[in-house]
Amino acid sequence: MVRSVFEWIDVMPMSIAWRESLNGYPLLLTAHVVSMGLVAGIIIFWDMRLAGVALKQVPLSKFQATMFPWMTLGLLINAGTGAAMVFSQPMRYYPNFYFWMKNGFLILALINMLYFHARIGKTVADWEHDPVMPFAARMAGYASLALWAGIIVAGRMIAYSGLVPAWWIGLDLGS
Amino acid sequence: MSMLPFFEWMGRLRLSAFFLESVWPTPIVQNIHLIAIAVFAGSVLVVDLRMLGRGLRETPLAELARSVEPWLIGSFVVLVLSGIPQMTSTALKQYYSPFFWWKMQAVLIGVIWTVTVRRRMSMRTEAELGPVWPKVVGLVSIAIWTSVAVGARLIGLMG
Repeated sequence: MVRSVFEWIDVMPMSIAWRESLNGYPLLLTAHVVSMGLVAGIIIFWDMRLAGVALKQVPLSKFQATMFPWMTLGLLINAGTGAAMVFSQPMRYYPNFYFWMKNGFLILALINMLYFHARIGKTVADWEHDPVMPFAARMAGYASLALWAGIIVAGRMIAYSGLVPAWWIGLDLGS
Repeated sequence: MSMLPFFEWMGRLRLSAFFLESVWPTPIVQNIHLIAIAVFAGSVLVVDLRMLGRGLRETPLAELARSVEPWLIGSFVVLVLSGIPQMTSTALKQYYSPFFWWKMQAVLIGVIWTVTVRRRMSMRTEAELGPVWPKVVGLVSIAIWTSVAVGARLIGLMG
């Protein structure tokens, strides 16, 4: 099912045109890395604030109100260039172990974020001026740091499509 | 004076051979480098956005700059250390890549800008600085480090 979607995109004229563009991929990948600096740079400092290791004097609500618009801008460029790369080479990414690993980490990071805002985030006003956050908030920060490190590493490892577990190669998704 | 002999010497180091002959060291240092880029970018942006009058406006500039400085310096040290084996193990490729020289010149300019003008400015009280100069300094900083990232990525993509 998933495979047929990737194969369907693979034969689209626009996908083929982008794939055959000489400068398309270098431009997309470069914009992807630069916008990663904006997204991950801000998220890392948000997480380190939650974990209590950086920017202890900044109230969380202020950080959210003033830095999240910049993070969102980065995220739009980042997700857009990422989607465009997958769109232009679907059958390169479909059999790639690290591509799916990265998507898995992205989903876990999203769940962690939603859980934080739904549960712990509701009482932010009560504790955001404390230099050390409540245990649950610190754990959410550390979990997010670990997940974003995983996203970055898995993303870089997409280039190493051969350095994967033997069972994955055994699935033979590429053919 | 050509720097070619120096690059040839780097390529002959045992460190270079180790990285070329084994599978995992190169991706491992590349990943450490990339995570350090994210920390470095965050450390730079927190202060640069503040200089542009955006971001964490309610924290005094000098206080903000001081509190992220350990992360700025720490991540830069990690970037240099994780960059060295990547440079030596592909020394001749780097030497002949225009993007490598673009990147390194931009790094040099970025370091000088950061430890001189930007640092002196970020440690002053804002009333002394006026509305214009911090914005110029912050924009220049963002532009330099963006060009470092662009140059760096193009070494791998365009040779």
